[in-house]
Amino acid sequence: MHAALNNIRVAFGPLVAVDDVSIAIAAGEVHAVVGENGAGKSTLMNVLFGLIKPEAGTIEVEGVARNWASPQDAIRAGLGMVHQHFMLQEEMTVLENIVLCGEPVNRFGFVDFNRARQKLADGFREHGIVIDLDATVGGLAVGQRQVVEILKMLYRDARLLILDEPTAVLTPQEKDRLFGILRSFAASGKSIVIITHKLDEVLEIADRVSVMRGGRLVSSGPLGETSKDRIAREIIGGDLPPPLKPAARTPGEVVLSVRGLRAGTRGWVGPLSFDVHAGEIVGIAGVSGNGQAELIRALAGLAPGVAGEIMLNGQPVDRLDVGGRRRTGMSYIPEDRQRAGLALGATVAENANAGRDDVSTFSRGPFLDRAAMASFARGLIERYRIKVAGPSALASTMSGGNKQKLVVGRELARGTPLVIAENPTWGVDIGAIELIHAELLRMRDQGHAVLLVSTELDEILRLSDRVLVMYSGTLSEPIEAADADRNRIGALMTSRTDAALRSVA
Amino acid sequence: MSGRAERLMSGDLLPWIVMLAWILAILFGLMLLVGANFGEALSGFFNGAFGGRRMAYLAATLSRATLIVGMALSVMISFRAGLFNIGGEGQLVAGGLVSALVAILLPGPPLVVLVAAILAGMAAGALWALLAGVLYLYVGVPLLVGSLLLNFPIRYIASYLVAHPFRDVPSGMLQSHLVPEATWLAYFPGFRLDIGILFIVATSIFAIVYSHTTVHGYQARLNGLSADFARTVGLPVRKLTLQTLAMSGAIAGLVGAIAVFGMHHRYIDGMLVQPLYAWTGIIAVLLVGMIPWLVPLSGLFFAALQTGAAGMERAAGVPKEIALVMQAVIILFVASRVSGAILSARSSGTRGGDDV
Amino acid sequence: MFDLLFDASFLASVPRFVTPILLAALGGAICERAGVFNIGLEGMMLGGAFFAVVGAYFSGSPYVGALAALLAGMALGAIFAEFHLRRGGDAIVVSIAINLLAAGMTTFLLRAIFDVAGAFRDPAIAGFARVHIPVLEDIPVLGPVFSGQSPLFYLSLALVYALHVFFLRHRLGLRIRAAGENPTALKAGGVNPLWVQAIALLMCGALCGLAGAQLSISNVNLFVENMSAGRGWIAVVAVLLTRGRPWPLFFIALLFGAVDSLSFRVQGLGLPQQFTDMMPYLATLIVLTALSWWRLKRQS
Repeated sequence: MHAALNNIRVAFGPLVAVDDVSIAIAAGEVHAVVGENGAGKSTLMNVLFGLIKPEAGTIEVEGVARNWASPQDAIRAGLGMVHQHFMLQEEMTVLENIVLCGEPVNRFGFVDFNRARQKLADGFREHGIVIDLDATVGGLAVGQRQVVEILKMLYRDARLLILDEPTAVLTPQEKDRLFGILRSFAASGKSIVIITHKLDEVLEIADRVSVMRGGRLVSSGPLGETSKDRIAREIIGGDLPPPLKPAARTPGEVVLSVRGLRAGTRGWVGPLSFDVHAGEIVGIAGVSGNGQAELIRALAGLAPGVAGEIMLNGQPVDRLDVGGRRRTGMSYIPEDRQRAGLALGATVAENANAGRDDVSTFSRGPFLDRAAMASFARGLIERYRIKVAGPSALASTMSGGNKQKLVVGRELARGTPLVIAENPTWGVDIGAIELIHAELLRMRDQGHAVLLVSTELDEILRLSDRVLVMYSGTLSEPIEAADADRNRIGALMTSRTDAALRSVA
Repeated sequence: MSGRAERLMSGDLLPWIVMLAWILAILFGLMLLVGANFGEALSGFFNGAFGGRRMAYLAATLSRATLIVGMALSVMISFRAGLFNIGGEGQLVAGGLVSALVAILLPGPPLVVLVAAILAGMAAGALWALLAGVLYLYVGVPLLVGSLLLNFPIRYIASYLVAHPFRDVPSGMLQSHLVPEATWLAYFPGFRLDIGILFIVATSIFAIVYSHTTVHGYQARLNGLSADFARTVGLPVRKLTLQTLAMSGAIAGLVGAIAVFGMHHRYIDGMLVQPLYAWTGIIAVLLVGMIPWLVPLSGLFFAALQTGAAGMERAAGVPKEIALVMQAVIILFVASRVSGAILSARSSGTRGGDDV
Repeated sequence: MFDLLFDASFLASVPRFVTPILLAALGGAICERAGVFNIGLEGMMLGGAFFAVVGAYFSGSPYVGALAALLAGMALGAIFAEFHLRRGGDAIVVSIAINLLAAGMTTFLLRAIFDVAGAFRDPAIAGFARVHIPVLEDIPVLGPVFSGQSPLFYLSLALVYALHVFFLRHRLGLRIRAAGENPTALKAGGVNPLWVQAIALLMCGALCGLAGAQLSISNVNLFVENMSAGRGWIAVVAVLLTRGRPWPLFFIALLFGAVDSLSFRVQGLGLPQQFTDMMPYLATLIVLTALSWWRLKRQS
């Protein structure tokens, strides 16, 4: 299917997200749209799919100008979109998810599931897809969920597929399987748009590449006419920053020691045992949902473990609540800054001072010392270059990156022996990523122990001195930074340690 | 939270005017329905709320406002902390009942008896709220439903006690004996208004100061804005919850005691339930989006609405229940404008959303 | 004593008390599954009870009464949808307003239409006749329970099964579940979850209205101020405990209804009325506490 976006402009208030962008997608091609977070590529594709109405510009499908009132119009015209965060009903079965919103019904509105099964069977044969239609989606691995998303579009005969960061949560092996299906789709004449920021994948699958930066289209052309270096320069608008080199180190005392920890519902995660020393960053890699959240909640005291022991600074902390553990020497940068990291309805100063151990530093008797609170917040704002009106502005007025800098600043300012960072750069701009990474390295160099849990393999490899891989509730043996390579970790992310080692060896 | 107040006051006026037009249209529609004379109704309303011989109706309004504002403050302290204690009615009944019984049973100098009775009433209210809190924290019963359901047992217990063991049988009514006359709260000179209102003025000042300037109020507010956040940064959430509920319940208990010693001088079955003081207190808080200094004004407004409606009934034959309808209508229109943030922690199911 | 409690006439009275709770709870279940936190069941029920009397009084037919109750409940559901879904008011706040609105409206209209305060009873209020099922009614024990009940009782039983199938196999049922679990996904699929939730609220209002009709023109033929008397809250608890699953809901409603009926029954045994009146709420609180406790234990 041929589609084109002409002179599209989208603004959110004063922020221009997409500025006069035109791209064309040919039938049967895989078209990669690349750019940093916030470059406007998702916004542009949301316009194509009818989720956002552009301020100016036109959409053209098969040579006809279209004006979507809602995604339903786009779907009817043969478009389909897989969003970065899967749009699935976890409690429903695969089949229910696939037919939802396009149900084959009889006269009284009852769903004819058998008709749907027959229709899907054809597509399964053609593209080599295997999945249990009666499984509950909540129990599927991430790669399988992606397949469900793709089946939703196949079921509705979509001829143009938009995939937003489809590999962000996939293991290398799952990614290969996905690309196989996509190639089969393209071969059958469907057009595919992939939004991504991973250059290797662009080189692997794209026929045509469009690069966006700051809401504008930088270039658009066949893959053969460009190069990896050129795309990279176009994405960041200059040369690549030098990679952060982990300094040589001598690990100190054990700060965090975990032995036989079991966590999660009925202790499905574990038993886990590992140490984190002063002056090192230990990275826990893995696909999201393999028990990282449960491990962190158990460590932080948000949901105490079922069994095992946790020693912090040589003291057992199993029986302490969150506050007690923090006072013993723990800081925690949560993944979800919107709810756990900040109270968005409170001011920056109120957020900055929450969780400081010594209440007397910002109070007089039972009363708050607003001036002391503001001056502490001002310190963080300056130190972390947070863009905000001031300490009395509401936290909700900050952008994502600035929110995250406030969370990181607040936690690191506590200067505790242990810092737990959970996806600390999730969805923030590149400037904030650099700052946060530098701060974590600085903490390490000053002798703090850092436990970094991240689903971004690049982040793990860039910062960690040792890497542990989490899969299905268990941890691999530690891998020294020098020995850590992408393929080996990728294999560990998809299967049990021993099996993975064998397959790699 | 003056930022929200500013947004409420300034900004686009048009929607507020449209809203007012809707509310007035519904009001006139209802009056049309019963064929009332608008002029008579209007003058009856203002006379009923603020007039009367020697300002008797104004006194009635203030007296009612005392209880409504008290309940509103109780609710506000819970709600700001994110605790959906809608069982204020039970806490109010517990306070009124216990303070009346203590005053009837305890011998001693009147002032001592009065103070002891009020403190006992506050303790009873606090305990009843704590019961909901314990069920919530340690058993997992949602506070909203738990606190609400606890209204019923205490209502019937109170009803039983004044119907059987402590009934003033000769009166023929379901009510307790009178509390000693010496413990009655005095009236302002020349005005049928008891000094209970002073207790509530003091409570208002306490609640405003507490909400804006204390460490406890600050931490409770953070819990109200995001319970996840409060837990993550290690605030003592359980302690805050129980202390806040106890405070909230104690204020409700105090209101019950004021109703006994200032207004009825005994416990009468249903005296604290039927006028819907607790529910009116809740909507008074919601009307002003939990902004502390506005809560007393909001409570006064609803009290005037109710006594004014009674005046309309006397003057123009409009059933006074019109007040209840209008309260609901006002809350419907206003709530969708100001209360959106109350439950942000519960209703925001999606993550992210801050990035383009 | 047990003979007195559990004789046939006690059993025969159980359906009368189960029906209103069950109908309201089924309505609540639709909202729960659609992701609308509706604690305004009490008000919707009360509105239904009043308008059932209005309809039955002026038409002389209980069916018109039931229809009026259904429409009144739907009207409240529509108001809920307008202020919660379209104007973005908080569900709890809107629920509280709906409850107050129903309480105010019914007392106001009671005086405006019938010119009485407190209660309205009149022989002209046409109540439902009992449905006698031949053969079945002659079977001991089962007969009096399943025969001779109000048509609304049979309707509520049928609805338990109907709702079960509806959620599992009907297009709208599927979409209601999706609106409750992941509305963003539903939206991305091209279906506006707000419309689905609005329909759920209308259905909920209709069922709560019928629940009210059961109270006013089936159990008795009169309307009393605040006649729902907390049953809507009991239904809310039933919905919360079962997370809106029709079959478990049926059994919880059966339990709560039986206690309600029992409390009526034991009044004759010399217990103070206050204690018997308290029983349904206490039972609800106890079941709620026990199940919450059990869930908490099971989780860890």
